[in-house]
Amino acid sequence: MERENEIVEKLKDFLKESLVGTTVPRERRIFVYIKKDALKDAVEYLVKDLKFTHLSTITGVDLGGGIEVLYHLAYEGAIELSLGLTVPKNNPSVPTVTDLIPGAVLYEREVHDLLGVNFEGHPDLSPLVLPEGWPQDVYPLRKEHSLEQLREMTSKSRREKSD
Amino acid sequence: MGLFKWARTKSPWIIHFNTGGCNGCDIELVAALTPRFDLERFGILLEGSPRHADVLAVTGPVTLQVKDRLVRIYEQMPEPKYVVAIGTCAVSGAPFKDCYSVHGGIDTVLPVDAYVPGCPSKPEAIIDGISKLIQKMKEGEGHGKGK
Repeated sequence: MERENEIVEKLKDFLKESLVGTTVPRERRIFVYIKKDALKDAVEYLVKDLKFTHLSTITGVDLGGGIEVLYHLAYEGAIELSLGLTVPKNNPSVPTVTDLIPGAVLYEREVHDLLGVNFEGHPDLSPLVLPEGWPQDVYPLRKEHSLEQLREMTSKSRREKSD
Repeated sequence: MGLFKWARTKSPWIIHFNTGGCNGCDIELVAALTPRFDLERFGILLEGSPRHADVLAVTGPVTLQVKDRLVRIYEQMPEPKYVVAIGTCAVSGAPFKDCYSVHGGIDTVLPVDAYVPGCPSKPEAIIDGISKLIQKMKEGEGHGKGK
């Protein structure tokens, strides 16, 4: 656990009060929760200085009140670090990291599709995984709609042609 | 039995289309066509173009994105045409039935003549389903009725 704790200490020194919390549940696994404003600095520090060079994916979770966005980064020493931040549901916007990690383009588009998180500065947030004709402002992985409501909202694209 | 129907039942050509499945049934269908299981003993040939095919073999649940494409492929096939749903997903939608982006089984979109359940369906089951379909074709039953 030495390497993991060392990384956590470095992050604490760098982020100071922007750091919300950290957990190291086991070896080679770190969770770090930060405030939204510190995202760009934290990602740059992790990628350039701490050698978390590989962004595995970006995921999102609907927590009810807000949406949690998680950046899963991999270290060349085989440590997985999940960098998390929570944004309010009425204005879910996060600065893009595509200028630091070009490979994040598709991950950010997917999270935007499924949870409606707006990545400010992203070059193209057009639909990626949702079918054509999907209604705007309906996000399937937000837990505010039941399955029946979702089917009702997409009923137009379901009925076309079959009639 | 007319000449055309005789020729068709002796050698139905199949087009295979995956409407959003996991590839499990596709592998089984391809295995059924190999010499080990030898679906070709019924004269069955895998055809690339729907315009030359008699039977549409569909695997996977119909997603909203692929639904119109599936209908387009079916419409391109010449009459009489038959549809086989291979795998539980194609039969009923299975675990993906209520998914936000899934329309349902094949029979929510197209008339189906033979159902082959299984996850994935074994090559033996596919051969059984297709031999029953050929029997249907011989008796002039099914949705694509032959003269």
